[in-house]
Amino acid sequence: MAAAQDGNATAYRRLLSEVDAWLRRYYSRRLPPSAIDDVVQDVLVAVHEKRHTYDPNRPFIAWLTAIARYKWIDAIRSLRSRATVTLEDDVAAPSHENSVTSAWSLEKLLGTLKPAQAEVIRLVRLEGHSIEEASLATGQSATLVKVNIHRGLKRLAALLRNHPDEQ
Amino acid sequence: MSSDFLIDRLTQGLKPVHRRRPLVDGAILASVAIVELVLFLAFGFMRPDMPKAMDMPSFWWKLISLGLIALASGAVAVLSLDPTRSPRRGLRWTVGLIVLSLAAGWMIDAAHDGFGALLTRLDWQHGVQCFAKMVVLSIPAVIGLGVLMRRGAPTDRAGTALASGLAAAAWGAFVFVFACPFDDPFYVAVWYSLGCGAVTLLGRLLLPRIARW
Repeated sequence: MAAAQDGNATAYRRLLSEVDAWLRRYYSRRLPPSAIDDVVQDVLVAVHEKRHTYDPNRPFIAWLTAIARYKWIDAIRSLRSRATVTLEDDVAAPSHENSVTSAWSLEKLLGTLKPAQAEVIRLVRLEGHSIEEASLATGQSATLVKVNIHRGLKRLAALLRNHPDEQ
Repeated sequence: MSSDFLIDRLTQGLKPVHRRRPLVDGAILASVAIVELVLFLAFGFMRPDMPKAMDMPSFWWKLISLGLIALASGAVAVLSLDPTRSPRRGLRWTVGLIVLSLAAGWMIDAAHDGFGALLTRLDWQHGVQCFAKMVVLSIPAVIGLGVLMRRGAPTDRAGTALASGLAAAAWGAFVFVFACPFDDPFYVAVWYSLGCGAVTLLGRLLLPRIARW
């Protein structure tokens, strides 16, 4: 990166290729496979635009991890506004490995929330039920379901921000 | 899917960049602040009874407290523009400093004249003017910190914005101390807290939007 800051395009290309591979491994345990490409490219652009903030006297990986985590939190937040689409039964599914790993990480995170919050996030955001259906299933009012989803996602974002990162 | 196309685009015509240096950022910010203070005094806004005011402990309490708060929160804001640094711990220290400052003001305030006297001391007509002037004087610092935030890479935008808003607010109030003829600690605690609170809130709400990356 120090060479890239000085304008060395060859070193920069090699670095970005390695960063690309590292990011794909990093997000494979943290995001659904369908979201990884977008977030990886978003991070590559961020690395490029903010490359002047890297201090060569400090480890590059810590700098990269901080940016990757920042973009990860952004991606998790975007779950709030993303519409849920129901999949047909006959959709081709090449491999479930990444999805299973992501779901396992997500379950661990949901376990840190209050049960009422985790339950409505699981129903509405992960399983695609409507607010009304979640309200009927949990006995919470529709407003409370929305509030619990909002607070739960906010808490998740705070947890991700404050939790020491794992490689 | 690989990112080869994007990598090609990013590496094409790569130019050297100036590395960000917190000391340089701090120096730029300090220059903006000092120019503002010099202009403020040069335009004749200094209180006419300054020599007398300098003998009063409450004048020094205002000046030193606000200077320290501006310095501490400004340093927290600038340091947190590095993606690996969080402003949270620094913000906790700054809040401690504010509480200490208010406690010192309370200790300086020896008068206990009842609620009616407190309302008189509050002098809301002048208080609202002080509030408005403090807000206006904090604008250059808000702009300076906003520009630095856009150029930097804060990964906790909310925290950095809070520290920036606080630094700008405290700096605006610091400059205003040279013009403000009121030394009553109760008046200062109420109106300065309101002025600083408003600018801090404004910074917290606005800066994360303009510094999104």
